[in-house]
Amino acid sequence: MALVHKLLNGTCILRKCPKPSVASYPFLGTRFADYCSSSLQKPAPVPGKASSQRKTEGDLQGHHQRDVALDITCPEEKPEVSFDKAIKDELKNHFWRLKDDIVNRWIGPEGRPLHEVLLEQARVVWKFRGKEDLDKWIVTSDKTIGGRSEAFLKMGKNNQSALLYGTLSSDTPQDGESSRSGYCAMISRIPRGPFERKRSYDWSQFNTLYLRVRGDGRPWMVNIREDTDIIQRKNQMYSYFMFTRGGPYWQDVKIPFSKFFFSNQGRIRDAQYQLLLDKFWRLGSPRSRCLHIWCLVSVHFLACSQPPSCCILMAEREQVLVFLLIKALIPS
Amino acid sequence: MNPLIFTTILMTVLLGTMIVMMSSHWLMIWIGFEMNLLAIIPILMKKYNPRTMEASTKYFLTQATASMLLMMAIIINLMHSGQWTITKVFNPTASIIMTSALAMKLGLTPFHFWVPEVTQGISLTSGLILLTWQKLAPMSILYQISPSINLNILLTMAVLSILVGGWGGLNQTQLRKIMAYSSIAHMGWMTAVLVYSPTLTMLNMLIYIMMTLTMFMLFIQSSSTTTLSLSHTWNKTPLTTTLILITLLSMGGLPPLSGFMPKWMIIQELTKNSSIILPTLMAIMALLNLYFYMRLTYSTSLTMFPSTNNMKMKWQFETKQITLLPPLIVMSSLLLPLTPMLSILD
Repeated sequence: MALVHKLLNGTCILRKCPKPSVASYPFLGTRFADYCSSSLQKPAPVPGKASSQRKTEGDLQGHHQRDVALDITCPEEKPEVSFDKAIKDELKNHFWRLKDDIVNRWIGPEGRPLHEVLLEQARVVWKFRGKEDLDKWIVTSDKTIGGRSEAFLKMGKNNQSALLYGTLSSDTPQDGESSRSGYCAMISRIPRGPFERKRSYDWSQFNTLYLRVRGDGRPWMVNIREDTDIIQRKNQMYSYFMFTRGGPYWQDVKIPFSKFFFSNQGRIRDAQYQLLLDKFWRLGSPRSRCLHIWCLVSVHFLACSQPPSCCILMAEREQVLVFLLIKALIPS
Repeated sequence: MNPLIFTTILMTVLLGTMIVMMSSHWLMIWIGFEMNLLAIIPILMKKYNPRTMEASTKYFLTQATASMLLMMAIIINLMHSGQWTITKVFNPTASIIMTSALAMKLGLTPFHFWVPEVTQGISLTSGLILLTWQKLAPMSILYQISPSINLNILLTMAVLSILVGGWGGLNQTQLRKIMAYSSIAHMGWMTAVLVYSPTLTMLNMLIYIMMTLTMFMLFIQSSSTTTLSLSHTWNKTPLTTTLILITLLSMGGLPPLSGFMPKWMIIQELTKNSSIILPTLMAIMALLNLYFYMRLTYSTSLTMFPSTNNMKMKWQFETKQITLLPPLIVMSSLLLPLTPMLSILD
């Protein structure tokens, strides 16, 4: 199904028809919502809105504009893709990946020798060295539910990092349901095998999440989702806070996986469970709860490691309550 | 869990399997399967977390589907034969549906997808029960209806199971998934000889249960769920490490260990029935299983794997006493010299 959707996307680019939206595929479910919502292609803003946004940016973060060119508008791309060529290329790509999959099985887990997998103490999972690394991430904001926040992801200076930037607005969508709004997030794409088969990461030999970031001084959250086949578990995730210092130096953030607390539909559960890392699926980093404000974070890499000092399996309930208190005290 | 409630649930699991094995009425057999299924669910979810809940749900859905298919086959058989007694299955449609239902319960290819997922999601003790005791009931029914099973379908499922069990286990670092794929492969060996000699199927089942019990108990004793954690047992219990080596090689079917006996007997029986290509293929595909067992023994027992932490002793929160472990280890490794006694089966 995902393959068919990708092919249809290719067709739409050729025929210059509007990109299919999730609403036109009512039965595809949330996974296709994730597949569809990729704001790497920057939308053309409303003219009045763009000017007011530029004014806001000028007032609040004027000095940043000298460092980063905030080009909100971007030209619409018109690639020339033929439908038949798109299908053939897609099939060829999938069969090639299937062949690689079969060959890599002989080498070892994930195509690497077993002793290398067992002995490694740190693994860089995501790094940002080119445009293809940006394609592994989805950037979302409350714009998908009718809000006014916007977020974008682009390569940083010297192609050594990625820059997530945009504006956050706590204006609620006028749908009669939402009482709070204002978030943006960058979420890793679900790893896929040949023919879009769902995969997951096996991080069971690591115990710490290691990020190198340069933030805007505001707290962010790091969310982890496990692979699941049950739809009732789609809103369950493990979260922890990441407090950024605001630069100009890079900040190494090491979060033991035992610190992550379990939540369902955004609410922390009383019963906490250990984060099992053999079916790691997605990593997300949202930012929320602020007024009309500008947000910015650079990411150098994201990795997992196994420091010998960290041996705790699971966060205790008391730790969860302590962190909630800290969150409430920090001004947005 | 309350010990009284746990005992009741465990007794229900045992009773369900006993009802299936001892009944001659199809409805009682189906009731036994359902009792067994409903009672095993709380055992699978004994250590509750979202993963065990998901594993239990998957197990329940697949087994319930298999029970539905079984009931449909029973009713079709009833329509054609007019009897509830478990004898020859007269209708070929009923036979095929029944075979599919029992294959789903056993985890034979192409109904094997639930086995690694469920086994990985539950605790080691629950996995032990799942991969040993839960195989008895469906295998006993297959044994009883073996004269009326479609040979082509059964052999196809058997060969594919051996292939999938070997191929799927190749790159696993999670021990429970390795045992799950090992179970799929062993089920393939058992069903391959079922039509020719059901007694050998039972022998294979017995030895498989012994070896799987031994492996799981060794994992429980060393609290290991990954290859990496198993590779650190050398600095805590070197004897256990050696026993893991012997048991894994026995599971791989290497002589002079017990695991070689059923494979040898099965190949001999198939060859006696003028089937040459099939046992050759099965023996070649068994090498895949042996390969990942050898890789496990290499990292665990044959080499002193480097510790990636500063602690020399493996973390273990409590010392577990496993009472049946020594006799099981002896039986899963030293039974091969008793093979000539198997002539009493003829």
